[in-house]
Amino acid sequence: MTVAYLLGAAILLPILAGFLLLFTQGKWKNRTVKCLFLFLVFVITTIFSVKLMLVGDYQFPLWKLTDTLEVLVRMDHLTRLFLGMTVAAWTLGGVFAFEYMKHEQKEDRYFGFYLIVLGVLIALDHAGNLVTLYLFFELMTLTSLPLVLHNLSHEAVMAGLKYLFYSVAGAFAALFGIFYLYSHGAGSMFAEGGYLADISYTGSQGMTLLVLFLMILGFGTKAGMFPMHGWLPTAHPVAPAPASAVLSGIITKSGVLAIIRVVFYTAGADYLRGTWVQYAWMTLTLITVFMGSMMAYKEQVLKKRLAYSTVSQVSYILFGLSLLNVSGIVGALSHFVFHSVVKNCLFLCAGAVIYKTGKTMVKDLKGIGKEMPITMWCFTLVSVTLVGIPPTSGFVSKWYLATGSLETGMTGYAWAGPIILLLSAMLTAGYLLPVSILAFFPGHQYDYEQVQKREPNLLMLVPMGLFTIAAVVFGIFPGTFMNYLQKIAMTVL
Amino acid sequence: MSFVQNFPCFSIVLCMVAGILSTPMKGKQAKNLTLVVVTLVALMSIATLGYVIGTGESYTYMMGRFPAPWGNEIRVGILEALTATVFALVMLFSLLGGMDHVFKDINESKINLYFILVDLLLSSLLAIIYTNDLFTGYVFVEINTIAACGMIMIRESGRSLIAATRYMVMSLIGSGLFLISLAMLYDITGHLLMEDAHEAMIRLTQSGQYEIPLLVIISLLTVGLAIKSGLYPFHSWMPDAYGYSTISSSSILSSLVSKSYIILLIKIFYRVIGFDTIITSKIVNVLFVFGLIGMIMGSVSAIMAKDIYKMIAYSSVAQIGYVYMGIGLATEAGMAAAIFHILTHAITKSLLFLSAKGLNDASGRKRVYPALQGAAFRNPLAGAAFAVGSLSMVGIPMLAGFISKILFATSALGSDPKKVLPTLIVLSVSTILNAVYFLHTVVRIYTPVGEPGEFKGVRIHMAVGAAAALFCLIALNFVLGLYSQPITDLIQQGIQMFA
Repeated sequence: MTVAYLLGAAILLPILAGFLLLFTQGKWKNRTVKCLFLFLVFVITTIFSVKLMLVGDYQFPLWKLTDTLEVLVRMDHLTRLFLGMTVAAWTLGGVFAFEYMKHEQKEDRYFGFYLIVLGVLIALDHAGNLVTLYLFFELMTLTSLPLVLHNLSHEAVMAGLKYLFYSVAGAFAALFGIFYLYSHGAGSMFAEGGYLADISYTGSQGMTLLVLFLMILGFGTKAGMFPMHGWLPTAHPVAPAPASAVLSGIITKSGVLAIIRVVFYTAGADYLRGTWVQYAWMTLTLITVFMGSMMAYKEQVLKKRLAYSTVSQVSYILFGLSLLNVSGIVGALSHFVFHSVVKNCLFLCAGAVIYKTGKTMVKDLKGIGKEMPITMWCFTLVSVTLVGIPPTSGFVSKWYLATGSLETGMTGYAWAGPIILLLSAMLTAGYLLPVSILAFFPGHQYDYEQVQKREPNLLMLVPMGLFTIAAVVFGIFPGTFMNYLQKIAMTVL
Repeated sequence: MSFVQNFPCFSIVLCMVAGILSTPMKGKQAKNLTLVVVTLVALMSIATLGYVIGTGESYTYMMGRFPAPWGNEIRVGILEALTATVFALVMLFSLLGGMDHVFKDINESKINLYFILVDLLLSSLLAIIYTNDLFTGYVFVEINTIAACGMIMIRESGRSLIAATRYMVMSLIGSGLFLISLAMLYDITGHLLMEDAHEAMIRLTQSGQYEIPLLVIISLLTVGLAIKSGLYPFHSWMPDAYGYSTISSSSILSSLVSKSYIILLIKIFYRVIGFDTIITSKIVNVLFVFGLIGMIMGSVSAIMAKDIYKMIAYSSVAQIGYVYMGIGLATEAGMAAAIFHILTHAITKSLLFLSAKGLNDASGRKRVYPALQGAAFRNPLAGAAFAVGSLSMVGIPMLAGFISKILFATSALGSDPKKVLPTLIVLSVSTILNAVYFLHTVVRIYTPVGEPGEFKGVRIHMAVGAAAALFCLIALNFVLGLYSQPITDLIQQGIQMFA
C-alpha cells in the first residue's frame, strides 16, 4: 500500500500547493520565499515521481465510482516515459517562469494553476482504464484553461473559449466510444497488445471501428490533429511563454498518450491493421503534418509559428503510431520525447526574447543573436534538431518513421509517408532556420555599435541550456534509449 | 408497528398544520416555522429511509386505521423515502438560498402567505410521492398546482402574473387529462387503490377486454403528466415561470414540482398499469422520441437565451428530456437512470438557480449576460457554485451529472437495439450543446471587467444561510458523483419494491 500513498502524495502535493497559492494570492510579501517554496514542491514531486517509476509495474484501483466503474492506476513503461517527461519539463518550465513571470500580472494565480495541472497530469499518466483516462483528461482541460486565459484580454478569452469548446467536443467524441466499449465488455483495463479481437468482446466490428475512429479523432483534438486542430495555433501563443512551452510540449502529448492507450492497449494493432480506420488516420496525420508546416512557414509571429510547428510535429508522432508496426511506434515515441524537449526549449527561447526585448515578430529579431547569444544558440541547436539533420535526435526519430512507413507496404501510403516527411522537414528548416540566420547575420546595414548585452539570467538560461543539451545528447547517443523504446514497441504489438 | 412508520403521515400533516398556523403570523415568524417544519420533514424522511432500508420491504399505512375505501392509504418504500428525503433537503436549501429575495420581492403583508404556499406545496409533494390511492394523488396534484401558481404570482410584477397564468392554463390542461384518465380507469376497474386497480388491470389485459379504452387511459395519463412536468413541446410555460418568479420559487418549481409528476407517472406505470402493459402500449416510444427532441431543442433554446435565468430554465427543458428518454428506454436500468437523473437534476438545478441569484445580486440585479461579466470575482462563492453546477450538468467526472450520463448510456445499450444509436448520438450532441452554453457562461463570469483590481469594491457577502445552502448543494453534487453506487442500489431496490 505504500505505493498508493506515494502516488497519492505525488498527485496531491502539487494540487494542494496550487490551491494554497490560489487562496493566498497577493499575500506573499517575499518573492524569493515564494519561488523557493515552488521549487521545493517541484523537486519533491519529481523525487516522488522518480521513486514511483523505480518501484516496478503495478496496477490497483484508487477509487470506485460505481460497482463497474473504477479509477484505476497503472505503472508500465509508457507511464514511465510520459511521467518522466512531464515532471522534467514542468520543473524546468517552472524555474524559467520564476524570472519570466516577473513581467506578467497575477503570477500567483498562474503558479497555482500550473501546479494543479502538474498534479492532474501525473494522475493522467497513471490512468489504468478508459474512464480514469477520460476523467483526468477533462480535468486537465479545465485546469489548464486558466493558463491560456492568463492575461484575460479579449483575445485570450476568445482563445480560451475556442480551446475549451474544441477540447470538450473532442473529449465527448471519445466518451461516446468509451460508452460503447464499456457496454460490450471492454475498456475497464489496459493490456499490452489490446484485446478487442478476443471472443469475450461482443461489439459489432463496423460499429467498433467507427467508435475507435471517433476516439482517435476525439483524443487527437488535444494533439492538434486535422480537422480538430483549429484551437491550437490560437490558444498556445496567447499564454505566457513558459505555459505555451508546456502546453505545446506536454499537454498536446497527453492526446498522444490517450491514443496509444486506446489503440495499442485496448483495441490492439491487429484489430485496426488494414481497416479503413488506419487509412483514414494516416491520411489525416499526413494532411496535418504538411498543413501545419505550411502554416508555420507563412506565419510571422514567432510564437504562432512555433504553435503551427507543434501542429505539424505532433502529427509526426501520430503518423508513426498509425503505421502500427515496431519502427513506427519507436519513431513515434522517440519523436514524442525529442519534440517535447525541442518545443519546450523553443518556446522558452521565444519567451526569453519577449521578456528581454518585447519583440514578437520574426522580422524584428534581426541581430538578436548578438544581444542574446546563448539564448539564440540554444534556439539554433534545437531548431537543427527539429529539422532532423544528422546526428541530432530529430534525425533518429524521422529515420524510424520513414522506415516504418516503408515497412507497411501499403500501396501509396508507404511512399507518401516519407515524401511528406521530407517535404515537411524542408519546410521546418524553412521556418526555423531563417530566425537564426536573421539573429546572427543581420546584414551590413545592422548597426553593431548599438549592440547591448541583454542575456537573461541563470533562471532562464539553465532550463534552456538543459533542454538543448538533452536534445543534442539524445541525438548523438540514441542507442540505449532506442533499445528501451524498441522493447516497449515489441510488447504492445 | 414501529413508531417510525408514522413519519410519512406525520410529515404530510405537519406541513398542512404549519400552513394553517402561519395564517395569522407575521412574515418572519412564518418563515421560522416553515424552516423548522421543512427541517423536521427532512429528518423524518431520513429516519423513514433508514427504517425501510433496514426492513428491506415497503409497507402501507392506513390513515386513521380506516381500511380503504373509506380510509386513505399511503405506501412507503425505499424509492418514496429516498425521493422525499432529497426533495425535503432541496426545498430547505432553496428556501435558505433565496430567503433575502423572498423578503425583497414580495410585499411585506404577503410574506406569510408565501410560506403558507410553501408549506402546502411540500405537503402535496410528499403526498404525491407517498400516496397509494389514485384519487388522493389527483387531489394533491391540484393542490400542488395551485400552490405553485401562487408562488409564481406572489411577486406581483407584470411578467410574473403572465407567467402564472400561462403556467396555470397548461397545468390545468394537464390535470384535466389526468382526471379524465382516472375517471375512465375507475370506470373499467372499479378501484382507486393502486393494488386493487392493478389486479383488475391484470384481469382485463389477460382477458383482452377494453383494449381501446385502456390505450386511451394510458395516453391521457401520460400526456397529462408530461404536460405538467414540461416535456417538450409542452414546455412553453417554463422559461417565464422560472425566469420571473422569486428565486426560491424558481428553484423549487424546477427541481421539485415538475419532478414530482414524473415520480407519480413512474409510480402509476409500475403499480397500477403494470410495466409490461406500458411497453406493449408503445407509449414509451412516444416519450422516448419527445425526450430526445426535448434534449436537443431545450439546449438550442438555452444557447439562444439572453439572460441567465432563462438559460437555466431552458436547460431544464433539456434535462426533463433526459428523464423521459430514460423512461422511454423501457428497461429497468433506464428507469433507474431516469430516477437518478431526477435526483441529480434536483440538486444541480437548485444550485444553479441559487448561484445565479448570487451572481445577479453582484451585478446590480441585472440578468443579461454583459452585466454578469466578472460577477464571479464579486461574489466568489456563487461563482464557484455556478461553476460546479455547470460542470455537473455538462457531465464532468466526479460530479453527479457524469454518473447520470453513464447510467443513461449503459442502460441505452441494454434496451431495444433500435434505440441504442439515437440515444447515444443525442446524448453526445446534447452534452456538447450543454457545454456550449454552460461553459460559455462560466468563462464569462470569470472574465473581469476593465482593469484588474477595479472591481474589488463591490464585493457581495452572502447571508450565512445562503452560503450554507450553496455549500451543502455542492457537497451533495460531489457525493452523488463519487459515491453513486449506494444511491443507484437503493433506486434499483426501490423499483423492485414497486413491482
